[in-house]
Amino acid sequence: MKQLTINNQVVTVDVDDDTPLLWVLRDEVGLTGTKFGCGIAQCGACTVHIDGVPVRSCSYPVNSVPESAQITTIEGIGANGLHAVQQAWLEEQVPQCGYCQSGQIMAATALLATNRAPSDAEIDAAMTNICRCGTYPRIRKAIRRAAELMA
Amino acid sequence: MPITRRKFLYSSVLTGLAGSGLLLGCSSTSKQILSVPEPADTALGLWIRIGSDGTITLVIPAAEMGQGVTTSLSTIVAEELEVDYESIQTVLAPANEEYNNPEMGMQGTGGSNSVIAWWEPLRKLGASARVMLVQAAANRWQVPAEECTVEDGVVLHQASGRSARYEELTVEAARLDIPSDPPLKDPKRYRYVGKSVPRKDGLEKVTGTAEFGIDVQVPGMLYAAIRQSPVFGGTVASFDEASARQVKGVVAVVPVPNGVAVVADRFWSAKKGADALKVSFSGGTSVGASNASILQSYRQALEESGKAELTGSRGLDVEYELPFLAHATMEPMNCTADVQPDRCTVWAPTQFPGVARTRAAELTGLEEEQVTLNCTYLGGGFGRRAEVDFVAQAVLISKAVGKPVKLVWTREEDTQHDFYRPAYLSRVQVQLNEQGAPESWDHQLAGPSILSQITSRLMGLEFAGTVMNWLDWDMTSTEGAGKIPYAVGSHNVDYTIVDPGVPVGFWRSVGSSHNAFTVESVVDEAAHLAGRDPLEYRKALLQEHPRYVALLDQLARDSGWGTPLPAGHARGVAIHESFKSIVGEVAEVSVENGQLRVHRVYATIDCGRHINPDIITAQVQGAICFGLSAMLKEQITLKDGAVVNSNFHDYPLLRLAEAPDVSVSIMQNNEAPGGVGEPGVPPLAPAVCNAIFAATGKRIRKLPLADQLT
Repeated sequence: MKQLTINNQVVTVDVDDDTPLLWVLRDEVGLTGTKFGCGIAQCGACTVHIDGVPVRSCSYPVNSVPESAQITTIEGIGANGLHAVQQAWLEEQVPQCGYCQSGQIMAATALLATNRAPSDAEIDAAMTNICRCGTYPRIRKAIRRAAELMA
Repeated sequence: MPITRRKFLYSSVLTGLAGSGLLLGCSSTSKQILSVPEPADTALGLWIRIGSDGTITLVIPAAEMGQGVTTSLSTIVAEELEVDYESIQTVLAPANEEYNNPEMGMQGTGGSNSVIAWWEPLRKLGASARVMLVQAAANRWQVPAEECTVEDGVVLHQASGRSARYEELTVEAARLDIPSDPPLKDPKRYRYVGKSVPRKDGLEKVTGTAEFGIDVQVPGMLYAAIRQSPVFGGTVASFDEASARQVKGVVAVVPVPNGVAVVADRFWSAKKGADALKVSFSGGTSVGASNASILQSYRQALEESGKAELTGSRGLDVEYELPFLAHATMEPMNCTADVQPDRCTVWAPTQFPGVARTRAAELTGLEEEQVTLNCTYLGGGFGRRAEVDFVAQAVLISKAVGKPVKLVWTREEDTQHDFYRPAYLSRVQVQLNEQGAPESWDHQLAGPSILSQITSRLMGLEFAGTVMNWLDWDMTSTEGAGKIPYAVGSHNVDYTIVDPGVPVGFWRSVGSSHNAFTVESVVDEAAHLAGRDPLEYRKALLQEHPRYVALLDQLARDSGWGTPLPAGHARGVAIHESFKSIVGEVAEVSVENGQLRVHRVYATIDCGRHINPDIITAQVQGAICFGLSAMLKEQITLKDGAVVNSNFHDYPLLRLAEAPDVSVSIMQNNEAPGGVGEPGVPPLAPAVCNAIFAATGKRIRKLPLADQLT
């Protein structure tokens, strides 16, 4: 049995220790906004925050999650309506197929939480998630827009 | 066929309009849909349902895979129905002949044709519904319908000051005859068509609530992972069931035609079981194949087909080589199926629901009417989800265990069991005259035929596929090369089908994805040989095609063609027509220490009358990133008949840091609508490689670029 705090709610799950956090979120807790893309921490579709730090949950065994850790998923960032990043994503009409966007948004919110005015190079370095539809030009614009909204 | 379809369409307006719990005038085909086990007042009509609260639900007959089809089709209906675009909500159509794509004659999404195919029928659908609602009001008020007007979902009778909302009229309207030729709105009065309304699916997709196939949850569901034969078409020689069953949670091991599925109570257990499974495979269609052996077979075919003789120095004789490519949709292949003795329910992210349902019926022995196939959003399609292999597997696995099962492929299975963009080898000879204009253009092409494989595999017409092989004919292989817009004198394309046994399929922009690279690079080579500016040279050869010329002029203005650039920067241009749209692109690049940087790309698209400029812009931006990803780094490597690549570390895709700035302009005209999802892809690779030539003098004749500049 493992106790986790996800989006400010405490849940208890009964899974193998090596189960990646991704599958705990999706199949045990029913939070399917976090996506499976590659399973080897390459694509970032599974990005969630652990204590505000973006992690690739497909490669993060659940038993490595510290007892006290606060896990935040796409379902948890806009607790009171939309997060500024989600708002910016809508304003710039970023999503196409949408599958990678939860992970992109989680990566962007983590970036902006520590850096309110990222440079292009800082955006490049932080945003390594793959988008096969090629929404990258709009992701860049939306991050700048979100920074304005958060200012 | 068209008459039957049209009739269904109109009759469906009738059923579709029934709201408030009344479902009237169901056609025989609609009963299937309306018999879903839900209370009647929430059951959806086939096309449009107007609820008693005024919400309008439109059933979307196409797959949403990023192209914004729920938005574009809602826009068309909102326009003719005369309702607020925001009042429309959408649901995705299940498999039902009612939703057959009028251009394909089957239910499907592909060929960038959703707006092309549905523009007319959905305008008529919206207009018919409007006419019926107006008539219902006129009947109620005992006034002529011509005296009534419509505004934002309200019918008004000015003279008497009466008005009624659509939802108050729906039940009566649904009883009326469907007009055969409803008056369509004057385009001058369009409120939404041609404007950038926000995407219908935007909110769901930024909050993680959009449901993709992989997100489907069914009570009592089990999970499956799969191991498939590494060699294509191979079969399971033997497997040790116990090796998988020793993993906690594994409940079944199910052989399927080219692999073995491991079923467990959780996906993670199923995956561990599949990893632990001892299995061996034998045979296959690609035994022994490697990239080198395949290239050799292509070269041999080209040698046998011969080539044109050139005279003098003003000629080109060049070879272009393109690799196998994976679709690499971000959502791996998956499907959920629940097979019971008397029915089968499937939830699938598919581009071809009708084909999927037929396959499910065949595999279960049920009638098609007993199979319900529900469609989810697609986490990328690009042609991969035109195949139904993963649906067939899920159905077989559920049938074997008698419970609902969600099958999810790992990225490794997805990468190694795709239906790839074929690798091709081209040879082109161009003879230029004294003035530098082509007087002959001969192109020999060798590689697999998508259409002959699909004809056999997807449609079950093996004989037809064989005949196509025998004829060496396939327009999907030659499109973009077979017919070119340039005045080149005698033009001859000779295609030889060479099939190395690797499954191939439709990959975003299909034949144009490789032929545009060859043709637009060769035109550039000819311009250089003639000592002419490549954009002006193209225009000179396109005098018979005013839309191309107008587009190139616009593109030249947008990109500042011919104006000075920063030191080390250079431009390249390409233009290509596919799916009834023309796209021109100018890439601005620099090469420093063997490192290419694509700084920006300007694109101009002529897609005729268009619905949503912002979605068009997004699709072209995305297509440019998609094309650049392939051009820079994508290549499937085969060894011993199997794919070596397995995941994004060895099949890398473009990331944000490498994405250029992209500017898009849209030509304004009233030509028939053209496609938007694919046509932005083909010009990208030649535009960038032509810019590389302008920057370095090095002509790239083989993709991907990889380390060719170092």
